[in-house]
Amino acid sequence: MIEIKQLAKKFAVENPKKLSEQEKKDPRLKGRFFHSVQDVSFTCHKGEVLGLLGPNGAGKTTTLRMLSTALKPDSGSVEISGDNVLANPVIARKKIGFLSGSTGLYGRLTGRENIHYFGQLHGMSEESITVRIKELADLLDMHNFLDRRSENFSTGMKQKTAIARAVVHSPELVILDEPTTGLDIMATQTVLEFIRGLKEQGTPVIFSTHHLDEVQELCDKVTVIDQGRTLFDGDIASFKALAEGSLHQSFMAAIQSTTSE
Amino acid sequence: MWLVFKKEIKELLRDRKTLFFMIALPLLIFPLIFGIVGFVSKQAIDKAETQILNYALVGGQYAPDIVKELQQPDKFNLVEIEENADYTAIIRNDTVDFVLEIPENYSSDVLQNGQANVKLHFNDAGLNLVYRRVNEIVKSQSELFQQSAFSTLGLDDAEQNALIEPIVLQKVNTADDRENWGEKIGGMLPYLLFIICLTGAMAPATDIGAGEKERGTLETLLISPIDRNKIVMGKFLTIAFAGTMTALITVMSMVIWGLVLSQGMAIKFVADFMAQIAMLDFLLIFLMLVPVVAIFAAVLLSISIYAKSFKEAQSYMGPMTILVIVPIMLALLPGVELKGGWAWVPITNVSLAMKELVKGTMDYYQLFAIFGSTVLIAGALFAFCVYWFNQEKVLFR
Repeated sequence: MIEIKQLAKKFAVENPKKLSEQEKKDPRLKGRFFHSVQDVSFTCHKGEVLGLLGPNGAGKTTTLRMLSTALKPDSGSVEISGDNVLANPVIARKKIGFLSGSTGLYGRLTGRENIHYFGQLHGMSEESITVRIKELADLLDMHNFLDRRSENFSTGMKQKTAIARAVVHSPELVILDEPTTGLDIMATQTVLEFIRGLKEQGTPVIFSTHHLDEVQELCDKVTVIDQGRTLFDGDIASFKALAEGSLHQSFMAAIQSTTSE
Repeated sequence: MWLVFKKEIKELLRDRKTLFFMIALPLLIFPLIFGIVGFVSKQAIDKAETQILNYALVGGQYAPDIVKELQQPDKFNLVEIEENADYTAIIRNDTVDFVLEIPENYSSDVLQNGQANVKLHFNDAGLNLVYRRVNEIVKSQSELFQQSAFSTLGLDDAEQNALIEPIVLQKVNTADDRENWGEKIGGMLPYLLFIICLTGAMAPATDIGAGEKERGTLETLLISPIDRNKIVMGKFLTIAFAGTMTALITVMSMVIWGLVLSQGMAIKFVADFMAQIAMLDFLLIFLMLVPVVAIFAAVLLSISIYAKSFKEAQSYMGPMTILVIVPIMLALLPGVELKGGWAWVPITNVSLAMKELVKGTMDYYQLFAIFGSTVLIAGALFAFCVYWFNQEKVLFR
């Protein structure tokens, strides 16, 4: 399980004059720092799927990057099954499988080599990498393109390879940053099925998205953040109960609950 | 670390563009370019030599011998001009290629009439062999006159020589062949090696840092459970390796093509020259290259990882080439020697040391200082590179 408490992160603003009007109005801009994430907390237990929702620029990606140890938070704590991620980033990295929204592949390597390389980086043995790649290729239906150079892959093929690469080391926790953005319906379906598969195995998944139907379909828990703060954190039933009607209205209700304060 | 290195090299070898710059360019294109330049310039010279020159003669009546010599229809063509023609104008509008003006006092009796000042008007900008071709004729006449004057005076050969050149300043070169040629070739060697090394390292460097950022693979790499230092080291080694290989391949290709193209005579000279340089010196030259390559690799990697995209990286690296050329050019300047302050100018000192090694006049103790200081700089830059790789504001710009 993963527990995140009061995570915060600020970025130095190099040149305040360059900011857009909208950015200048953002209350998170304080002096020479932009407090991208101010107070985000949530937990996700074994076998749960957590949907991270929020408008563009809410701090979702920054939060997920902190979870994946790519960024170092200024304050707060992240614990994965009792291990402090901030104190032991390398151990945490072994436990996390992370797929970022803007991820890419090494175009001149084949799909297999891409996955293999990250298997090696995770310190896996040759044998276990081979077995694992076969397993993932079966699961994601990748056999017919696995040995081609990935620069010619379609978006769906790339996404499948990227997923396989993210979970090659059988992580304890999977974090996906907008995994379905920009994918066609078929590829989206593959990603969703994969998340469902992880859920069945009991691997917790945290993913950010803008598609509420995905949330409805998969998530046990929902966390809504806006302007770097957690506005809602609870199970899907209580999220639905926020408003009458669709999840969209629940989302709006969650956002407005603080704006009106 | 070797994992990263191996993967980067594998990727590098599959990239046609990079391979082209690393291998094809030095192996084939350079000799081809030199060949074409040589061929074209030879054509131009041949043309200038065989071209029929239009000329006008003023005062031809004073020098019948020259007039006679100029009557070669396959080489010269006489054009009549008006008496007070503007020479500059008629040369500019291509009426004539040159105007030869012979003075009144032109005479075979030099002792009587003194020195004759023959004027050759022509356009000396650009390639033309007008002066050389006319001078051939005038010179032979001049020698004839000299001879007749000497015989009138009744001088023997020794007296004639003494009169032509009363004092001779004879050059006795204490430098042996190696030092002599080493000064010339040795200066060019670091220039070539460094520049090629830098350009060869540039393509993979862009790809490895900015390219990885642009393609979105960097983030995934950063969160894999491998030490940041090892990632930097692997990438750093790849760039250094690519640079060194490019330099070596180029030098080899030059040596081989040089041998092929200049067959015979030059082979012996080159072989003799090479034989004089001890194996140890070759090794030392290579060893001196190592920290310099490390400096390049560290700087290139820092630039590359800072840049957001290929394009940005390339525009930062352009000026860097100029920055590298300057200290090497300094080493080529006359008077800049491996002494005093110059021994402490980075890159310049290595260039100078390489030159000294080729010349065979190296003070080997000085090598330690130069090598040491360059290694220090390389180490500092590498440390900066590692620090740079741990900065969020660099990685996630």
